[in-house]
Amino acid sequence: MFRKILIANRGEIAVRILRACREMGIRTVGVFSEVDRNALHVRLADEAYAIGPAASRESYLRIDKLIDVAKKAGCDALHPGYGFLAENPALPRACGDAGITFIGPAAEAMEVMGSKTAGKQLARRSDVPTVPGTDDPIENPEEAQSLARTMGYPVLLKAIAGGGGKGMRVVPNDAAFAAAWRDAASEAQNAFGDPRVFLEKYLIGPRHIEIQVFADAHGRVVSLGERECSVQRRHQKVIEEAPSPVVTPDLRRKMGEAAVRLARAGGYANAGTVEFLVDADLNFYFLEVNTRLQVEHPVTEQVTGLDLVKLQIAIAAGHRLPFAWESITPRGHAMEVRLYAEDPDNNFLPSPGHILSRHAPTGPGIRLDEGVYEGYTVPMEYDPLLSKLIAWGNSREETIARLRRALDEYTITGIRTNVSLFRRILAEPEFLKGEIHTKWLDELLTRPRPPAVAPREGTEEAAVIAAVLWHIEQAGKTSNEQPGAQAPSRWKLQGRREQLDRTP
Amino acid sequence: MKFEVHLQSVALGAKTRVVELEREGSNYRVMIDGLPVNADAVQVAANTISVLLEGQAFEVHVTPSHDGTIKLQSGPHEFTAELLDPRAWQGRRHGAAEAEGRQQIVAPMPGKVICLLVNVGDDVEAGQGLVVVEAMKMQNEIRSPKTGKVERLQVKEGQNVNAGEVLCVVS
Repeated sequence: MFRKILIANRGEIAVRILRACREMGIRTVGVFSEVDRNALHVRLADEAYAIGPAASRESYLRIDKLIDVAKKAGCDALHPGYGFLAENPALPRACGDAGITFIGPAAEAMEVMGSKTAGKQLARRSDVPTVPGTDDPIENPEEAQSLARTMGYPVLLKAIAGGGGKGMRVVPNDAAFAAAWRDAASEAQNAFGDPRVFLEKYLIGPRHIEIQVFADAHGRVVSLGERECSVQRRHQKVIEEAPSPVVTPDLRRKMGEAAVRLARAGGYANAGTVEFLVDADLNFYFLEVNTRLQVEHPVTEQVTGLDLVKLQIAIAAGHRLPFAWESITPRGHAMEVRLYAEDPDNNFLPSPGHILSRHAPTGPGIRLDEGVYEGYTVPMEYDPLLSKLIAWGNSREETIARLRRALDEYTITGIRTNVSLFRRILAEPEFLKGEIHTKWLDELLTRPRPPAVAPREGTEEAAVIAAVLWHIEQAGKTSNEQPGAQAPSRWKLQGRREQLDRTP
Repeated sequence: MKFEVHLQSVALGAKTRVVELEREGSNYRVMIDGLPVNADAVQVAANTISVLLEGQAFEVHVTPSHDGTIKLQSGPHEFTAELLDPRAWQGRRHGAAEAEGRQQIVAPMPGKVICLLVNVGDDVEAGQGLVVVEAMKMQNEIRSPKTGKVERLQVKEGQNVNAGEVLCVVS
């Protein structure tokens, strides 16, 4: 087993990984940019080293600096987390050259499966159904437009190197094509340094359901079941759950087998996720492979009882996957909400800043994976994900009730969060029935808000009393903090008295 | 101490309440609009106040804003409050003086100015994009609150801005 792991990430995922390492008795090395000195992952790591300025490009995306830290600190493995360099084949290559084990798939498998077009070709070869579209990036916008006409609108433009909804545009009709092309290409260039996009038929009202696969270095590939991730805002997952409310044991087996076939064909090792779109008739189409740990991995952990990060580390160390996991079936239900520093009441504007106070929910069936704490300043330079709140229970109903209860307990002041968005979603009849698709949330947000529920009697009075009390105590605090107004230290007084006592 | 509290919320609209808190031992005696109230209010943690009102339990979270108002959260309910010390009641009427006429457009969050969508002297419509500010990897268009003319641009492309910093002026 490894002795020391470099965690090439920040935020909640860096914390998640270092917790797994600690439980396994492995030392952890964190890295941080100039603005992350106070981050939780730096506080919790065994060792931590600065790797440069705030801009990710000059710190968290610098392979040379990461390898340098790993070598100097004597790390024998590196975990990339998700985002940043997690799907960049140059990182496993650099690790290989430096004699450090990369906790993830080989560079070749990343190239074959991670690229959207190569992944699609592989899916076709391994008899996994795909959405109609082009396999290759299209260089010429005119050629792309004429293809879109033959395919029929709506179509979807997607960045080759994309992810997380960046560099992606839906084109509703021919007139909108040119502008959408321009936007997608420039966004892709900015976000990933690669402007190439490809074209795909756009399915109406599909679900996003993905299969978690694990492969060891000895040829065994298993499926750990599905996650339903259909609640998305502008192609960004917002709520994830396992199992899916629509997946039957038969469909689970079929999708799992397809995902395993694909992973095998790609020579895959370690954790990966095969994403599918599922239409109203429960036909599934291959979407893409994520060659890394997913943000939403905790829901799978809660229904399988496995620790996916520990599994990743064990596989990277050459351990075998035990047989029994091939027959895994989900137990109970789990659901995750992604708490972001953004204001749902004001166009989802980002809300970085200082966390004045925070109360985290606990109790039965609740897990909070987070990278923030009271007194921490959320930097403006990175992704707004603060925490992932995960609930689980015996049924979907119990899980939702727990999640609602936990959201009521979760309070954070000083910055805005999207908690109110989840309160709204978790009260929507369609969501409760599981009637969701990838556009459902975007459509919900265009509908008029349900009328605000009148607060119970006394709330207004409690609020004004609290406002005045807070104001008075605040004023009292600042006047007490004035220098010179402080009482002399009792320790000093006692010390002086003892000195006096000693003199005869 | 006596305060006039201007309270604003989606569910209740705008209201003004007069709140009086007098220290009584370790606690406070509370009057609202001149009437005594059976309330027990304690600050239990930073910016967190527990209120027992005739036995009904409430927890209120307080967040100060840039503009001097404070945000109050109690469960799913949110209020914005402005406190006025009665000794300063005269002359400090808050209101819509700036809502018309010259408007300063400020950055709603810290970030980096990615591009300017208008030039000085341009005519703009209400809702038209003025400046694009990037924060947390998202680009946000800051829009004009009114129809008018761009009088001044206070920022350059590539510049970092703080929350509340003036981006431009529309008159």
